[in-house]
Amino acid sequence: MEIVDIFAEGCPVQLEDVLKNRDWRVAVQDHLMQHFSTSTVVAVKLNVPGEVKNSPSIKQLFFAGWRLLLSKMSSMAVQKVTVEADRLTGPEGFFVINRELEEVKKEAIRFEEHFFLGRLFDIDVMTLHAPAYQLSRQELGFAPRTCLICSENAKECARSGKHDISALRDNINQIYTDYFVIDPVIPAWDQETVAKAATFACLAEAVTWPKPGLVDPVSNGAHQDMDIYSFLDSSLSLENYFKKCFEAGRTFRGDQLTALLSTIRPSGRFAEGRMFQVTDGVNTHKGTIFSLGILIAAYGYASRNEQSPSLSFVQTVVSRMGAQLVENDLKEKFSPSGLTDSKGDADKKVFKGNANRPSTAGEQQYQDYQLTGVRGEIAGGLRPLSTVGLKTLRESRGTTRVRLLNTLMALATSITDSTMIKRYGDPKISQQLNQWVQEFEARGGAESKGGQDYLASLDQAFIEKNLSMGGAADYLILTIFIGRLTGLL
Amino acid sequence: MQIKQTAMAGTLESSDIQIMLSQGEKGITFDLTSDVKKQFGDAIKKTIQDVLASYQIDDVMVKVVDKGALTPVIKARAITVVQRAMDQKDQPNWEVL
Repeated sequence: MEIVDIFAEGCPVQLEDVLKNRDWRVAVQDHLMQHFSTSTVVAVKLNVPGEVKNSPSIKQLFFAGWRLLLSKMSSMAVQKVTVEADRLTGPEGFFVINRELEEVKKEAIRFEEHFFLGRLFDIDVMTLHAPAYQLSRQELGFAPRTCLICSENAKECARSGKHDISALRDNINQIYTDYFVIDPVIPAWDQETVAKAATFACLAEAVTWPKPGLVDPVSNGAHQDMDIYSFLDSSLSLENYFKKCFEAGRTFRGDQLTALLSTIRPSGRFAEGRMFQVTDGVNTHKGTIFSLGILIAAYGYASRNEQSPSLSFVQTVVSRMGAQLVENDLKEKFSPSGLTDSKGDADKKVFKGNANRPSTAGEQQYQDYQLTGVRGEIAGGLRPLSTVGLKTLRESRGTTRVRLLNTLMALATSITDSTMIKRYGDPKISQQLNQWVQEFEARGGAESKGGQDYLASLDQAFIEKNLSMGGAADYLILTIFIGRLTGLL
Repeated sequence: MQIKQTAMAGTLESSDIQIMLSQGEKGITFDLTSDVKKQFGDAIKKTIQDVLASYQIDDVMVKVVDKGALTPVIKARAITVVQRAMDQKDQPNWEVL
């Protein structure tokens, strides 16, 4: 896999800019210390050597750590938070917290030492009445920061110019690529944060517009029985369910992961009931309840003992949880109508078909087209989530809305969307969908006027043809969820 | 030459240096604090002395707190502090730059 050059999109700064920025930072810190004279001020920035200190990818690194650090501090009373992400001299954030200086510094050092990206961060803590300007690591008995390349004292390496600037950049590029690209690392978050991230994912998908055929704040798409408010209600009804799935994963013992799926399925059915209750019987998130619930449980399991799992490990757990889904839910109940196993089985097939009438789109499509739908996706470990969803989210530039639209459209072509097939009545719709997405991308994607206009016209076309890409929307939710946990969003 | 007024430049942020100049009468005296004083103390002083020399300042007390600044940073902060001390903020000495 290629190493990403995170400096490519950046703008070089002069020494004068860097020095002026330090004067600015000190002024901000002094102001905060004066204003919150009994609290601790925390200043967070990245150590990025060289003349390019900010870029979209550098911001991703910053926010990944910034979010995690703030969540580690969330048990303490946070009094003030300011972020300046777009400074030419690099993203910086400040917060004020009502805790002892030493306690906060220890937490910051833990973060710098243990978080995957921790060594790229520089966290200073200070308070108005402390004897020294800022509390140093050494004062608390910790060793000074070590160099990114060798294990010597970082300041000495910097002072002596021991390492070439390009070697340092290569090193940071490698760290970015390892964390976000090759196999994303997901920090071990607490239950509350995970459930919130999942709810956020549902809400963020719902409010993203214009989504062809789907419900958004501007259009109900090809759905007559629901609107954006149904999705708000439905999303909020799921938070408890997400917590249960996470807890089930975290506390699961044993290595038969199909049993973990069995553990959460009653919660899933209960969540469906709650959804129907708040939407007056309309299916808004049935697919999400299934796929996101499994993904959360898998992540909970993969992050037990506070380990930070890689996404591929979480996906392996997903696929092991769903190992028997296609077999048990589809194959044994619904023989594909087009297939004859052997001559003698013809009667048996008819008998089985009569005994189990497909009750869901997924079951029907298995019977009609041998498509395994969301069950097949689970059994396959939700691969498009990493290969397409997160990739597009990471590489897409612009506002959150633009990035999510690009991600949705990219996902649409990489999955078999059972909602689309159900609505159109034929899997051939996938080819048409591919053409639409290609056209959207050819016009410049969601960041361009042409792409936005095209999306709006697609929405009209979808409404006229009564089409909706519910499967892609479900995958977008999964992508937002993991994107949130890794810091991409 | 002596300086006109006490002046300070730079911060105590990591990789920076804070330099304070105050009036002195017996040549240039240094009070240097640095984590890397043992290895780089002389180099830091030399950089500052060169800047002082280019402004013909020979009587001054220099208080330095270094936080791991590199030579270009030291030089830039030294120029700023001298200009402030000479009350000529807006007239950089181009020969030095």
